[in-house]
Amino acid sequence: MPARHVPNAAGVLVVAFLAVFPFVYTAADYDYIMHICITAFFYAILASSWSMLSGYAGQFSFGHMGFMGIGAYTTGLFCHYLYLSPEPTRLCIEYPIGDLYLVVVNPIGVTSTTLTQDCLRQALAAWDGSVAVTPMPVWLGIVLGTLMGGVFGLLIGLLVLRLRAAYLALFTLGFAEILRATISAEIEITRGQAGLELPHLFENGVTILGQTYDKTDKIPSYYAMFLLLLLCLGILTWLSRSKFGLCVRALREDQDAAAALGVNIIRYKILVFVITTMMAAAAGAVQAHYVGIITPNNLFLLQMSLVVAMAVIGGIENFAAAAVGAIIIEFALELLRNSFEIGGVTIDMTIWRLVFFGILLMLTLRFSRNGLIAPLIDHFTRGHVARETVAARTAADRAGASR
Amino acid sequence: MIRLEVRDLHKRFGGLHVLKGVTFSVNGPELIGLIGPNGAGKTTLTNVLDGAIKPNGGTVYLNGERIDQLQPYEVARVGLGRTFQVTRLFRRMTVLENLYVPALARGGHHRASETRSKATSVLEFLTMEHLRNEYAQALSGGQQKLLELGRLLMLDPDVVILDEPFAGVHPRLMEIIYEYIRRVNGDGKAIIIISHQMDSIFSLSQRLLVLDYGNLIADGPPDEVKRDPAVIEAYLGTEADESSGDASSGAVSSDNAPVGNASSGGVPPSNASPDEETAAS
Ligand SMILES: Nc1ncnc2c1ncn2[C@@H]1O[C@H](COP(=O)(O)OP(=O)(O)OP(=O)(O)O)[C@@H](O)[C@H]1O
Ligand SMILES: [Mg+2]
Repeated sequence: MPARHVPNAAGVLVVAFLAVFPFVYTAADYDYIMHICITAFFYAILASSWSMLSGYAGQFSFGHMGFMGIGAYTTGLFCHYLYLSPEPTRLCIEYPIGDLYLVVVNPIGVTSTTLTQDCLRQALAAWDGSVAVTPMPVWLGIVLGTLMGGVFGLLIGLLVLRLRAAYLALFTLGFAEILRATISAEIEITRGQAGLELPHLFENGVTILGQTYDKTDKIPSYYAMFLLLLLCLGILTWLSRSKFGLCVRALREDQDAAAALGVNIIRYKILVFVITTMMAAAAGAVQAHYVGIITPNNLFLLQMSLVVAMAVIGGIENFAAAAVGAIIIEFALELLRNSFEIGGVTIDMTIWRLVFFGILLMLTLRFSRNGLIAPLIDHFTRGHVARETVAARTAADRAGASR
Repeated sequence: MIRLEVRDLHKRFGGLHVLKGVTFSVNGPELIGLIGPNGAGKTTLTNVLDGAIKPNGGTVYLNGERIDQLQPYEVARVGLGRTFQVTRLFRRMTVLENLYVPALARGGHHRASETRSKATSVLEFLTMEHLRNEYAQALSGGQQKLLELGRLLMLDPDVVILDEPFAGVHPRLMEIIYEYIRRVNGDGKAIIIISHQMDSIFSLSQRLLVLDYGNLIADGPPDEVKRDPAVIEAYLGTEADESSGDASSGAVSSDNAPVGNASSGGVPPSNASPDEETAAS
């Protein structure tokens, strides 16, 4: 097998392994490991889409977690406030749709629900079980969350069109912070720090290949997130190999030169924003339904730095490397929680792991600018280039010497 | 038929009036040299023509289409390409990728195999085939200049502006660049070369434009321009005096003495001032 196929072959093996993993792994900590996997896939989507935005296109956005939050809160609010009822409640705002009613529940904030009940619950109490209301489908919330991420991505993309480097980073950071502050402040609607509860990804269980899983089973969520990751990686691969990938990299390298050569830099800048923010929003929406609750803390800068660090350690200019980096680091951070003893001194790893992680990040930035995994891939795919050049150089030298 | 029409182009940077009403036109596959002292406005003119900066006044038409309000990428697609005074490659992209960008960016249909064979022939011409998978940042300064020219071949514009193509280039590479210019010109494209290397400019160009402090002070065949007193003054500074007064832009008279009566002693100011005022107007 030629060396340049090694990374692809390794990728296929990893995907195959992860595809069967839930069925071959049987240890006692099964649910815990599955949970780490799902979270790792979630971060892998964020890190790889962020690497497309910043590593390929050079748009260093620190608002990526903000878009993740937009996806999560869009579906959260959608599922929390909208219901379908066959009868009018006459208490809520409601719109007839066919022979059903779209009920908009009134926000009651975080006050005790035993004292104040929202309009729908009052109506349900009055009906006393005679009427069944249906919640909104989770998949529709996820789709809407993804689209909303794209809408905000378009807006932010337009606003940062003329901003470069540090200014773009600060602008997007400001955007994410404003979003977080707004969600924290709007307690009435978002329930602020108390958190917004969401129905589970598969609230009523699901049957796959004749096997029925209830909502506490990890397997359906595992595959949902895994497939979303594969979908995102597939789209990113396709984009990176097409004209799009070439043009956004030219945009990163020198946008004036790219424009002078006919690259529609405005279109590519906006496109790359919309595409990558939609991926972040989709990941956020799915993760929110998997976890079942979202709080503005998910949007903290710390979370963003985690994604940045994962992409940087993997290799920011290679989204596959960024995804692998994210998965490895998520596992490392989780599994290194176990404290240990050296010569009677207990190292509390729940705290120290972050220090080690920080040191790894610093060393990577100092000694391997394109991460730890991307150079490995390059070694196989680009190894022949140096040999070619050397061969050509030697041939030229010989020709020069014989003259 | 290629036609570039530049009319009364003005550009100000704050209080600095860098282009003061530049007017000229290019008709057909001309080979034009654009010279002028440092800071004359040559690069600024290039930037305005290519859409990178918007003029404060004036119009530019390329093949009948107005381009002075277009974005650079649109100007490139209409058919004007340029290189940069300081080479601007896509450094962390390979040589081949650098060539593919202009070929693919234009939009429309293009067959991958065609693009590839075109890029290969460009690299052959530039004697850089063996470097095709190297990153552009790994190239030497001269090779980088060649690659920038190669990108323009892939874009294939009607009008090519080369900003200092000879700066820092070894004679052997210079030959390739000469060959490049002759070939592109031979293909029926118009070329404007900006350079401080008078030998190259005078031997290559059929027509010379001279820019001085934002004014086009001469436009004509090289040997006429060479003898133009206004040009001599611009290049040699104050040595030429009142005799330069009769030279206004575009009008070059070849019977003028190569150097004006350089007065070594004290110049009577009363004598000189009226002529100098006509020159300034
Ligand atoms: N973006 C800018 N902002 C302010 N002033 C500028 C800008 N660009 C150019 N200038 C000024 O315009 C004048 C003309 O500059 P320009 O680069 O066009 O000169 P040039 O003829 O290309 O000179 P050189 O031969 O040194 O390359 C200079 O005085 C320069 O300082
Ligand atoms: Mg210049």
